[in-house]
Amino acid sequence: MASLHLAAGLCLCACVLAGCGSAVRHGRSTALDSVDLVRMTDDMAMKIIADAEVQQAIGREGSLKVVVQPVENMMTAEVLPRGPAETFTARVRSLLSRHAPDRFTWVMNRDAFYRLRERELDVDLGPSPDAISPEYALVARFSSITDESPKHRSSYYLCVYELFNLEDRSVLWTDKYEVKKSAVKGFLD
Amino acid sequence: MSRRVVHLLCLTAVAAAVGGCVSKAHREAERAVADYYVGDYDRSVRRLTPLAARTNEDFVLNNLRLGSAALANYDLDAAEGAFLRAYEVLNSVGVNDGGRTVGAVLVSENIRIWRGEPFERAMANFYLGLVYYMRHDYANARGAFENALFKLRDYGEKKKGAKPDKYAEIESNFALGHLMLAKAHQRLGRDDMAEKYFKRTGELRPDLAAAADPDANRRANVLLVVDFGNGPRKIGDGMGSVVGFAPKPVDVGPPPPPWVTVDGQPVQVAAVARPPVDLLVLAQDRRWQSIDTIRVMKDLIGTGLMTGGMIYGMQHDSRPEIVLAALLGGALLKASSQADLRHWEMLPRTTYVLPLTLPPGTHDVTVNFPDVPGVRQTWRGIVAPPEGEEATYYLRMQRWNNGPYQWPPPALARRNDTVPARADAAR
Repeated sequence: MASLHLAAGLCLCACVLAGCGSAVRHGRSTALDSVDLVRMTDDMAMKIIADAEVQQAIGREGSLKVVVQPVENMMTAEVLPRGPAETFTARVRSLLSRHAPDRFTWVMNRDAFYRLRERELDVDLGPSPDAISPEYALVARFSSITDESPKHRSSYYLCVYELFNLEDRSVLWTDKYEVKKSAVKGFLD
Repeated sequence: MSRRVVHLLCLTAVAAAVGGCVSKAHREAERAVADYYVGDYDRSVRRLTPLAARTNEDFVLNNLRLGSAALANYDLDAAEGAFLRAYEVLNSVGVNDGGRTVGAVLVSENIRIWRGEPFERAMANFYLGLVYYMRHDYANARGAFENALFKLRDYGEKKKGAKPDKYAEIESNFALGHLMLAKAHQRLGRDDMAEKYFKRTGELRPDLAAAADPDANRRANVLLVVDFGNGPRKIGDGMGSVVGFAPKPVDVGPPPPPWVTVDGQPVQVAAVARPPVDLLVLAQDRRWQSIDTIRVMKDLIGTGLMTGGMIYGMQHDSRPEIVLAALLGGALLKASSQADLRHWEMLPRTTYVLPLTLPPGTHDVTVNFPDVPGVRQTWRGIVAPPEGEEATYYLRMQRWNNGPYQWPPPALARRNDTVPARADAAR
């Protein structure tokens, strides 16, 4: 009987300690995450390349010279740090340069180019933004509406991507990704 | 050696190891806080950096501590990273799921991941926003300041028999957040939204009308954000089961106003030098405190067990061992409701937001609190940008860091930044 009590006590301790591992393991948030990143950028890259007007522009002008801008954060009560803001558009560029290398010439955003060059990373930065004058810009704007109550938190995201002509500001292509995320609050939230 | 002795030795060794690790980390954090208080921010950052990387129950607290020290040290990358890590956990739900909830209920509240009181969470968002604001990343500054204006819980007047966790949600009265949100909107070119939040600041705090004047803020090319004094400390009673905050505002009087001199000449800031927030006041405000669910639950369950035990004991066929177990269990549960006294020690008592309009060029700026001897700080070579631009400077007032300091501080000089703004303003 005594050893049964000891085993039960040790099991309880083990359960408590096992749950005490990490402050970042159990948390769930309603923020955009890596799953959204992959879904969204896969979708956008596919839609750009399949768009009739983009195809026409490529047929007319040849390879489109496009500068990639980081995401413009228009979300309510949310921050989007520089890294993720660049990643959400950089992955579209990366997918398109892999799958359609002859249709786009990518020019890195001036700030990102010089920052990466400063770090002397061993990555191909492409042509200097001063050497090539881009004709188009790939931009994205993220907006959100958040609803929070004592029991739950939910956020709706609207992520709009645009490829527009830098000279006359006309939009060559635009599309959106929408997602709603929710999380139920627990005992200690 | 008997098996029981071996078990006992093993358990003692584990307890000693865990206890030793915890107390060593806590001692290191205490040293880092002490370094911060004497103005040695560099050393405070060095001590806190490894602590903030540990994803334990102090993860959020250590990152907020690190953010405070890094901000005062003008290491804006480190400050952003630290506040962002804290922000991510603060904005998540279920971080205490798993064994932490059980441990916090059964053993000690200190096991749960610290997420601070509402006023600490508001300040965490404010500082994250401030870092972005200093870097001219106004979109993210806006997002962080908005997040500081979360709804508060109004428990109203306590009625007899009312449940302790009954409350109504009300809009935030965090004037500092409203003011900075208005400024971020103004810098983003959203004059309509700026107007709305400047107006709201004035409604919340009529004495801030001058500080929330849209035209004065638009004209200003230098913004001084001045942290003064020490924030509230969490204290327990002798038994450690009741929590309060000290000192109370009545014990220390109102925050004193700052004086500002530029190139040796006094600048009129009396109208704007009003404290937009007094954390000592917020800490005493029920709306800005978390209801201590665990302790309330333990208290309720303990009382229930004891009452149930006594009622059962009055019955003819009651078994004395069950009555005793209920009474003892209830008493133990009530006695084990030890308070969690962790708090963000680096918080100031108040943060002054002082917009100045100076001739473009470099200036020597001194912020002085004549009512508090020894609290002054001088910066030489502060850059005032041309009209239409704004540079933001953060000053942490302490008795031990009067300066004079040369602008740019070492952390910014290493990055070749002359003003705390970066090129990512283009975003």
